Amino acid sequence: MDLATLLPFVVNVIAGGLVLGFVYAIIALGYTMVYGVLQLINFAHSEVFVTGAVVGFEVFRVLEANPMNGYLKLLIALLAAMLVSGLLNVTIERLAYRPLRNAPRLVPLITAIGVSLILQDVLRLIEGFQGRFDLTYTLPGGFSGKFCGEGSSCVALGDTLRSIGLDLQLKDVILIVVSLLSLAVLNYLVNRTRLGKAIRAVAQDRVTAGLMGIDSNRMISATFLIGGALGGISGVLFGMKFGTVNAYSGFDPGIIAFTAAVLGGIGSIPGAVLGGLALGVIQNLIGVTNIFGGLLGIANLESIDASYQRIGAFIVLVLILIFKPTGLLGKSNVEKV
Amino acid sequence: MTGGQMTARETGTGGAAPLLELRGVHSYYGQIHALKGLDMTVKEGEIVALIGGNGAGKTTTLRTVSGMMKARAGQVLYAGQDVTGVPAHSLLGRGMSHVPEGRRIFPQLSVRENLEVGAYSVTDRALVEQRIQEGFALFPRLKERENQLGGTMSGGEQQMLAIARALMVNPRLLLLDEPSMGLSPLFVEAIFDIVQMLNRERGTTILLVEQNASMALGIAHHGYVLQTGEIRLSRPAAELARDESVRKAYLGDE
Repeated sequence: MDLATLLPFVVNVIAGGLVLGFVYAIIALGYTMVYGVLQLINFAHSEVFVTGAVVGFEVFRVLEANPMNGYLKLLIALLAAMLVSGLLNVTIERLAYRPLRNAPRLVPLITAIGVSLILQDVLRLIEGFQGRFDLTYTLPGGFSGKFCGEGSSCVALGDTLRSIGLDLQLKDVILIVVSLLSLAVLNYLVNRTRLGKAIRAVAQDRVTAGLMGIDSNRMISATFLIGGALGGISGVLFGMKFGTVNAYSGFDPGIIAFTAAVLGGIGSIPGAVLGGLALGVIQNLIGVTNIFGGLLGIANLESIDASYQRIGAFIVLVLILIFKPTGLLGKSNVEKV
Repeated sequence: MTGGQMTARETGTGGAAPLLELRGVHSYYGQIHALKGLDMTVKEGEIVALIGGNGAGKTTTLRTVSGMMKARAGQVLYAGQDVTGVPAHSLLGRGMSHVPEGRRIFPQLSVRENLEVGAYSVTDRALVEQRIQEGFALFPRLKERENQLGGTMSGGEQQMLAIARALMVNPRLLLLDEPSMGLSPLFVEAIFDIVQMLNRERGTTILLVEQNASMALGIAHHGYVLQTGEIRLSRPAAELARDESVRKAYLGDE
């Protein structure tokens, strides 16, 4: 084994995993925040996420010929996706979940799966209306267009940034920066603002929060708005990274992000981030086990190819449910005196 | 008991207008008829104790008053207005604050955050900060634990926090549900001292539900005895405390 070849390779695999992990983390936040206030797994979140990707693409399509700075286009795409996905999520709660607020927990859960299926076909229908039956949103030119810094030379989204010593492309760096900014804003919102404290109070004890004058329905709507907006952001980032999205693209990242939320401890915001990053890295490591096998001369590893990537998430899910059902940062139910 | 206290209790506040009135209130938990035509009056500036055994309907009475439950029949009048079925979060703005059974502090919020959430309906930031400091002055223990998570505190500290949190809106009427439950005698004493002080110094009207009848009647002006959803007795507290049947049933006298 040649450590000198292996080490930079491993570092790059981990870096790539973290990029993927940030996408999962931002999606996972949507699951975990809604779970925090309603103890409901919002299966429709994967479609809220795809909607964000679609909106992002549409913005880039419209702005394709516009000579404005690529970063500005990205900002507009992000804001539009946040708005649309956020409002979509609020609407879903209002129409599908709120009437079932006092129903047994299984009922809204099944409803959530139903909403997810409905939204998949609505997305497909919209594609149909637009006369494009390929079911695939391909990345328009504007998306891969040049991104120019002040006075410096222009780089394309897919250009590898050798200067930072890692095998990362510009879009990966953008993805990480946008994710970190989103996390910082969310952290401030949840922990420092009056709204955030009210949301946390509702999540911990809805009835008592009502006694404090907090309208829990409004806080639940606010949570869906924030969770949906995060879904929109992750959709745009996902679309930027992978280039194509169709009506069913939400399923895979959705289920992995859900696993990430469970891994971190569902309901825990830092847990969702940690779980997302961990799964991103695990997935990337599994994806290259064949290369590791080759480098290390282990034939068994060599035969595992990239199609096993998804299995990793589910192995993690099974293990966490067996050994630590509350997740890494999850709290066991605090006893109410 | 001090002489001054006796005087206050015996003169009472006889002339004051009723702040809270229940007229023929019926409440249900599903099929269970919990309150059967309750009539009750709490005058402005009074401490009124509501005593009775387990399942008598004491907590239900408070929940019906504060709008956590809706009365199925009858009327709840607060400050001269019919507030039957008005939800708790709307009553708060009118100065009614409820310390629920079991304290119900937010376990994953810090002491300060619990107080801030208690002040949710107060939009003036400076006023919120002022009231937090007032709460700390009232319960110095809370100041020491300012950044500790609510769920990690002892029962007595949680009760202090629950009361301080309810005071964040500077209530006109404070509903207290079993503040002594599960507390050591020392904490019970401290809590009751504070309750009496709030009534005397701030003029807060207090409706106090208690299992610990002797403590409750010791500070109250008026007392009601509740039994299986009905008012059995309504007397000045000092008189109730001397009543033979009350002593036997609720004060542990043989």
